[in-house]
Amino acid sequence: MTSSLKTAATEVIVHPLKLPGSPSAELSPEMKLVREALFKHVGKPIPRKEDGRLITGKGRFSDDFSLPGQTYAAIVRSPYPHARILGIDKTEALASPGVLLVLTGEDVLADGLADIPHNPVPSTNFDMKLRAKDGSKAFTGPHYLLPADKARHVGEAVAIVVAETAAEAADGAEKVFVDWRELPYVTDTAKAAEPGAPTIWDEVPDNVFIDTTFGDREGTDAAFAQADHVVKAEFHIHRVTAVTMEPRASLGHYDPETKRYTLYAGSGGAVRQKNELSKVLGIEPKDIRVLSFDVGGNFGARNRVYVEFGLVLWASRKLGRPVKYTATRSEAFLTDYQGRDLVTKVELALRKDGKFLAMRADNLSNVGGRAVSLSPLSKGSGLITGSYDIPYATLRARAVFSNTMCTQAYRSSGRPEVTYAIERMVELAADQLGFDKLELRRMNLIPPSAMPYTNAVGSVYDSGEYEKNMDRALEISEWASFDARKAEAAKRGKLLGRGFANYVESSIGTPKERAEIEIKDDGNIEVVIGTQPSGQGHETSFAQVVADMIQVPVEKVWIVLGDTDIVSVGGGSHSGRSMRHAGTVMAMASADLLGEGRKRAAELLGSAADQIDFEGGVFKLRNTNRTIDIFELGRRTRTTHGALRVVKDNEMHTPVYPNGAAVCEVEVDRDTGHVQIVRYATIDDVGRCINPLIVHGQTHGGIAQGVGQAMWELCAIDPTSGQPLSGSLMDYGMPRSDNMPSFKCEIAEVISPTNPLGIKAGGEGGTTPALATVVNAVVDALLEFGVKDIQMPVTPANVWRAMNNGRKVS
Amino acid sequence: MYATTYHKPRTLAEAVALYESSDEPTYLSGGHTLIPTLKNRLAAPQHLIDLRAIPELSGIAVTSDTVVIGAATKHAAVAASKEVKAAIPALAGLAGSIGDVQVRHMGTIGGSTANNDPAADYPSAVLSLNAILHTDRREIPADEYFQGLYTTALEPGEILVRLEFRIPDIAGYAKFRNPASRYAMAAAFVSKHRDGHVRVAITGAGNEGVFRWTEAEERLTENLTAKALDGLAIDPSRMMGDMHAPADYRAHLVTVMARRAVQNLGGTHIV
Repeated sequence: MTSSLKTAATEVIVHPLKLPGSPSAELSPEMKLVREALFKHVGKPIPRKEDGRLITGKGRFSDDFSLPGQTYAAIVRSPYPHARILGIDKTEALASPGVLLVLTGEDVLADGLADIPHNPVPSTNFDMKLRAKDGSKAFTGPHYLLPADKARHVGEAVAIVVAETAAEAADGAEKVFVDWRELPYVTDTAKAAEPGAPTIWDEVPDNVFIDTTFGDREGTDAAFAQADHVVKAEFHIHRVTAVTMEPRASLGHYDPETKRYTLYAGSGGAVRQKNELSKVLGIEPKDIRVLSFDVGGNFGARNRVYVEFGLVLWASRKLGRPVKYTATRSEAFLTDYQGRDLVTKVELALRKDGKFLAMRADNLSNVGGRAVSLSPLSKGSGLITGSYDIPYATLRARAVFSNTMCTQAYRSSGRPEVTYAIERMVELAADQLGFDKLELRRMNLIPPSAMPYTNAVGSVYDSGEYEKNMDRALEISEWASFDARKAEAAKRGKLLGRGFANYVESSIGTPKERAEIEIKDDGNIEVVIGTQPSGQGHETSFAQVVADMIQVPVEKVWIVLGDTDIVSVGGGSHSGRSMRHAGTVMAMASADLLGEGRKRAAELLGSAADQIDFEGGVFKLRNTNRTIDIFELGRRTRTTHGALRVVKDNEMHTPVYPNGAAVCEVEVDRDTGHVQIVRYATIDDVGRCINPLIVHGQTHGGIAQGVGQAMWELCAIDPTSGQPLSGSLMDYGMPRSDNMPSFKCEIAEVISPTNPLGIKAGGEGGTTPALATVVNAVVDALLEFGVKDIQMPVTPANVWRAMNNGRKVS
Repeated sequence: MYATTYHKPRTLAEAVALYESSDEPTYLSGGHTLIPTLKNRLAAPQHLIDLRAIPELSGIAVTSDTVVIGAATKHAAVAASKEVKAAIPALAGLAGSIGDVQVRHMGTIGGSTANNDPAADYPSAVLSLNAILHTDRREIPADEYFQGLYTTALEPGEILVRLEFRIPDIAGYAKFRNPASRYAMAAAFVSKHRDGHVRVAITGAGNEGVFRWTEAEERLTENLTAKALDGLAIDPSRMMGDMHAPADYRAHLVTVMARRAVQNLGGTHIV
């Protein structure tokens, strides 16, 4: 097995962990300080600093901002899944009371606005390289603020109406008359890729714009030819949406004096919004300021630019007044970037004794009307073999356009999908071939001795103790005493089922991050960082890292984020990258800061830097009692040396592979098909855990999000009309406090060798195995009905249907 | 929401006069159907006449034979009423199972009954308990009141003032909730009246709204046990069907809920 990535990319990238004898390039000498740090605060369950502010209504969410003279925008949206825009008549709308401005796709072109540079193909060194069928760069469908040609999904914005009040804008929007010509449409993932499907983009007549094959095809074919057993299955990991508590909102303001734009819009990272919107508007990035403070839920849905963000900026320039847009819940259901929607066909080849020999997967990702992100397809592609040692694999990865809202990376992008496929396959194989489900897993798990391990499609798993995770998850869930609980449930007429899943996932993310740390005169430390929390508790966990390094109380450290005039570089928060990237660069910046402090202290104390010790926030001349604390040093040297402040950039490309296991027990009502989760336990190897309280909180939320998809959530579309059916909380089922059990979660810390702090990632691990774990449990509960598989979500109606079909067969 | 004018009359006469003198008026009570409809611009009444400040519409009165509840009484008040709990525990339990805490502190029994949503809870109790609906102008027996989806015997401008329930020998309510909305996907209110008759009202399931399941009533009048319902099915063509519950599943749920209501006489069973 070679160490280079087996991708369609021409360049060969050698993984740092696979370089013989050389330490990771990212372990710079100054980071020894980090390694030797006392870890005084790191690892402690410090309560979140931000909670007091948030629960007393002091959060600063996008819609909380208003500006003098502000106007309001309403959006005209397509009622059709696919329709050509023959013309748009603004006359009546413009005559409507209070209406100030109406803009359409024709105006976008006339003003020379560019499309949003989503750059959907993941591009770090270790992302799977996705291409068009002929190997060329894929056509991904330009995303203009408003389309001039046609609408490609229900809810697509086709005009913006700006008025003095929100009600007048809504009235005006009803008076914009679009001359539509309905076109044939396709919304279903598999059907969109079938020959003869309606064409979404003329540039890609068959809708399939990515078609790349990874892995060793000859090796895979040979292994399949020699296999004793082949198990096949097809799964649809259906589409869901994030349902963030705060609907997306934006307030745009153009100042003609300074010729600068300002945008208040919560997102996953203001720097990305700034850079991409500056390209849309054709201006320099310095001419736009983006503010994103508190964000009420992201889960990936807010990482990419929304058209409304560009529209309020553009409209503000046209009008000379600030323009505000706040989505309704209905608009959020229709047009928040959605998640998942992967059809996967999987084949597993096994030896007689159960050893996995090879795997084939054919993954088809539905991106919607245009490609905003291929992260789900790419992320999943690298992990199709899951936690198992499968020597050969071939993966065909395809992406298809359809007449649906665009999909985006959604909590644990791509990984729950492939985890679902492999963990369901293992169960099906065990059932069909008569193996014990757990033993079959154990036999094939990647052992710690194989780390770093290169999987059959080229991903290098950095570290992990997979079987230990499995053992511990089984133990804390009391797997062994299941039979007694099952008998007890049976007495109450309930079917008890248990499900298990292993998982391994990857965290890559934007490689660059910058930290600025300044010792303030008032005795506080200010840290500027370019990630964007939306509930993750960065203000606490990041402060813990800096407090640890500078050896001051955590209360003294303040994290500044969300204003691009202050935060100049920043990769945002996605893909579980924040703690690893921000933590590392903050630690490096802290080391630099202490180096600078040592120099200044030496000058003050009349000695050399190597004679200065640092402990407890105080510099001390060795073998004397002469000391100066870091804040005093900052104050005393400000006039001569400037602020005690450092800026540090860091770039890390090497991915990490969080991993773990989950167990779920469900009780199924045999009369109604109602499923109640009664037990849920997880083990998550997050690498170094900075704050276990926050990691557990993240895990709980992650579990709820994964369980939500497995049990209730579904972006349903009526196939006979192309209209979304679950357009509100009346029809979109969600996890709630009363339908979730109390979780038993433990953290395993296998330190990652890829970064100085040894961090992997937390938060997505709750979600990744949840879909498979829940469905495995439900299928187990329905054993006596002969149910082998069931389509998610496992709603009462679906479970009842499966039981009924089983009853008829038996 | 379109612009509308809000009124809060203090007397029945004032409310009726406002209704009759206004263009496109509508009455408002708890607003749990009306307000979301307005917010989505699916209705555009020019005048909203809030009935909740009219004294005749408030209060709970329990005698040895009847429970009388003012139409503007909130679900939470019915659920918490010691008198209602003692007289018809299934009715108090039903009220306590509607929506969530916030809904129960805004939504009213009259609003629910006047709206006659096919998935609402109260219509099943009103019909099963053979209630008399007192309006500003007449009395309407429950059997004549419900006339299909969102349709009742109320005339334009007529105000539901109070609901008079006969206290039964015993009653039970069983509900299976929609996993998303938490409205009833199928629910059965079974009551045995003092004359020995059993009335079974089904809500959440029928394609014409709440209805009496007469075949079940006949069997249960003879023998008030869940077993008496064995083998009894309901025609799926009478059922609603949607993404959460196709008609055949709803028909099945109706039989399960009827059994559970009988098994839980004197209380409720809510899933």
